[in-house]
Amino acid sequence: MPVSRRALAAAFAVCVVLPLSACGSGGGDGGTADASGKVEGDITFQTWNLRANFKDYFEGVIADFEKKYPGTDVKWIDQPAEGYADKISADAAGGTLPDVVNVSPDLVAPLAEAGLALDLDKAAGQYKKEYLEGAWASHRIPGTTGTYAFPWYLNTGPLFYNKSLFKEAGLDPDQPPKTYDEVFSAALKMAKETDGKVATLANVPTIEDFGRYGVELMNKEGTAFAFNDAKGVELLTKYKELYDAKALDPQALTATPESSGRKFLTEAVAMNPGSALDLGNFKKQAPNLYKNIGITDQITSTGHVNMYVMGVMVNAQTKRTPAAVAFAHFVTDAERQMSFAKQVAIFPSTAGSLDDPYFTKEDGTDETRVRIAAAKSLKDAVNYTPVLFSEQMKTELRNEVAKALQGKQSPKQALDNAVEACDRLLRQQG
Amino acid sequence: MSVLEKVRPAAAKPATAREPRVTDEHGRRIRVWELVLRYLLLLAVLALTVGPFVWQLSTSLKGPTEDIFSSPPKFLPSDPTLHNYERVAETIPVWDYALNSLKVATANVVTNCVGAALAGYALARLRYRGRRAATLAFILAMLVPVEGIIIAQFTTMRELGLNNTLIGVVLPGCIGAMNVLLMRNAFLNLPYEIEEAAYVDGANVWQRFLRIAVPSVKGTLAVVAIFAFMGAWDDFLWPLIVLSDPSKFTLTIGLNYLHGTFANDERLVAAGTIIAVAPLIALFACLQRYFFRGVGEGAVKG
Amino acid sequence: MSSVTPVRRQLPVSPWLFAAPGLLITGAFILYPFVSTLINAFTDRRTLIPGEFVGLANFRELLNDDMFWVGLRNSTLYVVGVVPALVILPLLLALLVQKNIPGITFFRSAFYTPVVASIVVVGLIWVWLLDERGLVNSLLETIGVGRVGFLSDQWLLLLSAMAVTVWKGLGYYMIIYLAALANVPRELHEAAAVDGAGAVRRFLTVTVPAVRSTMVLVGALSSVAAFKVFSEVYLMAGPSGGPAGEDTTLVMLVQRTGTGLTGRVGYASAISVVVFVVTVALMLLVLRADRRDES
Repeated sequence: MPVSRRALAAAFAVCVVLPLSACGSGGGDGGTADASGKVEGDITFQTWNLRANFKDYFEGVIADFEKKYPGTDVKWIDQPAEGYADKISADAAGGTLPDVVNVSPDLVAPLAEAGLALDLDKAAGQYKKEYLEGAWASHRIPGTTGTYAFPWYLNTGPLFYNKSLFKEAGLDPDQPPKTYDEVFSAALKMAKETDGKVATLANVPTIEDFGRYGVELMNKEGTAFAFNDAKGVELLTKYKELYDAKALDPQALTATPESSGRKFLTEAVAMNPGSALDLGNFKKQAPNLYKNIGITDQITSTGHVNMYVMGVMVNAQTKRTPAAVAFAHFVTDAERQMSFAKQVAIFPSTAGSLDDPYFTKEDGTDETRVRIAAAKSLKDAVNYTPVLFSEQMKTELRNEVAKALQGKQSPKQALDNAVEACDRLLRQQG
Repeated sequence: MSVLEKVRPAAAKPATAREPRVTDEHGRRIRVWELVLRYLLLLAVLALTVGPFVWQLSTSLKGPTEDIFSSPPKFLPSDPTLHNYERVAETIPVWDYALNSLKVATANVVTNCVGAALAGYALARLRYRGRRAATLAFILAMLVPVEGIIIAQFTTMRELGLNNTLIGVVLPGCIGAMNVLLMRNAFLNLPYEIEEAAYVDGANVWQRFLRIAVPSVKGTLAVVAIFAFMGAWDDFLWPLIVLSDPSKFTLTIGLNYLHGTFANDERLVAAGTIIAVAPLIALFACLQRYFFRGVGEGAVKG
Repeated sequence: MSSVTPVRRQLPVSPWLFAAPGLLITGAFILYPFVSTLINAFTDRRTLIPGEFVGLANFRELLNDDMFWVGLRNSTLYVVGVVPALVILPLLLALLVQKNIPGITFFRSAFYTPVVASIVVVGLIWVWLLDERGLVNSLLETIGVGRVGFLSDQWLLLLSAMAVTVWKGLGYYMIIYLAALANVPRELHEAAAVDGAGAVRRFLTVTVPAVRSTMVLVGALSSVAAFKVFSEVYLMAGPSGGPAGEDTTLVMLVQRTGTGLTGRVGYASAISVVVFVVTVALMLLVLRADRRDES
């Protein structure tokens, strides 16, 4: 028994010594919000599933930082794709959150509300102008005054479609739909021509779809949801029509991004939203499909495409605030982001970077074409998903939408219910 | 080994209509139609149980130019290659992770076998006040829905200073309540008479436990061992939460890195799956003979 | 159990020494954390915000939560659907592989593979097999049945998940039965054979009585596991629990409401407590049925 004696002694200690409330948050021994001191000391930097492919890049960044600021030592840890929210929850509750953490906006919001994310408007306001305005704003949280993470890489992408399926259904493969109305009518035609065997869309509308369709998602103050307006009902009614005609895949009600991506790969679905990254993926996984792939712009009624934002936050309880802030800025500054963007098809969130020839000069390949189009659209792109929209709210919306599609309730009723449920969850969060 | 294969090689040769002399464990001959029926059933179950894994194996052997999403699906790789396995090893330090998993799983096997055998014996054989309460504690522990306690477990581990250690990974499951109950069941099924003789000879409780009781329940111990190994080997969420240092990660966490942030390579994932499953199947193949041992065997020696 | 007690001559402390390691570990890492769940169930605690005592509010909310009743229904159906299969099929499988015929080692190991494979992989494979265009549906189409929406209909989804649970559990309970079958005295079978009993009668009169306590154990273990089902349904029906959440199970609801940074730990703990109480009741039911059979 290699573990036994010490473990038993320890276990005994737990039973006897610890009070029942031991699972409280680790607060109290926090650091300071003042980032103006000397940049020194040991800090820990946590990324989200980037080690396997970008080990050299990050080790280089860290070496550069340690060289620039002698006396610092950055320890890099990387977490795998799955379970990231669980890992951060446990660390946040246990007081073991690393100093600098790779986050997405929906993770930042609760951490900021619990006082675990450093307000960068206060601690690092001088850097604000280095970033795209929209990107900096994406880590602002309604109900609080600050901004709680440096924007990092952005992503957006076109809509892919299957040219041969389009042709079979009598649609012009070189004239892909450009508006919502065109998508819907193409989808209905596809379903009719193939007897419902080929669907055009594989996902039920999510909150970002409502946003892109032009629905006001929340009220101005960010205190209540509003996506049950006429426009929202219109979109859902349209989807119901598609679902009934099997133009929306029957399995859409239970689909995940992975499963719908797979459907597109197996040519069971004719269109799929994606990004520049997917092109390489198609080439590798489904060479036959790759030959027939068509690319068109992301559909939007607002003139602004949707974007995804990654951020880097600083733990408000770090003991090395100056070093942590300096490093978070260092990782996300223009130079570092640019070189990261050249490693993988993502986009920098720093001002001016998107004007780099890398994002503007065509070279005839599809990859470059997609990259240039995406970079252009990103300058005024919006992260439609409200930062306060939690996983639980996503599920509520999804389930109410599903009931509407199944005809168990009207689209209006469904959205009213979803708004009510999300408002209740919002009040409980706040 | 009380049960041995008794195949007479000579019997297979004569091409006459004579029945092959395959016998069952009682030394009686098995009739041909019965044997055929058995194999047919075995093959049917085989197709059902391993079919899906053969698919994974096939995907992992497919080269980079092959379409893995073709429809209808192609079962056999047209140009089998081990390249994907090399790539797994290049992408992540798979041997380091496997070593960590091995440490955790081995520790878990040892603690579970020893701890569960001791506790199971106490519950089944020893008389003392509080035995019912102790049994109840294990039953209740088995019923606790673990999904709800994981953060509380983590905070406990942190208070002990055992977060980010392999000991912290092992500790919560190191004597599983279910294993204790399995051992209790096994000891309860042992005839009392076996121990009685030793008792008359003056053996004390430790001697009876070690020399008579434990050797008689080797089959169940093997079951506990494989469950413990499997549990530790497959666990994902708990090690992920306890460990922060990537050099301490176990294989399940490490293989999760193969699910890319930016793109999933199904071939790589499939190869990772096979790497994770292979040692468990090998372990089972090694241990399986213990499941077929008879009850009397250990007692005779005692 | 026995009228003779050959155990007097033991040191008074030894039973506790035997049981201590197990009790300490389970106490410290399972039961003790669960006490905090019990306490949380009466608070409005969230993941990052310590809550206040709210009395029975969480439980009152449960009664009005449609999703809770859906979860209770599905978890109960799961027990009803899965347990009989998992008590009987693995026993038959154990009997099938018990005899040493050539190549049996291979079969035994092969039958165990579903158990050792991680549930995530198993889920992915089955989703792929049962897909609208998957292998199963193309087979059904060729034999003229037509395609079946295994993954889009709420009941078929639940049924498919049950099938996967049974499929994955077969090997697991098979080896518990194998260990028990090894303990069946050979003479019993031989006596029955001499009496001229057929295979079915020998199974019912010799095998079943001999492994009865194991059947009860398997029944208890599988019903607890079935009521607490999470992974299979989560992976096949998706995180939101199938169409309109109609396939949500209770533990999925615990996970959905209670985890993540915005988790409502208090409310999720209340559901956990319900799960715990129901499994205790299930256990008692099985043990009760066992006792009645005996008498």
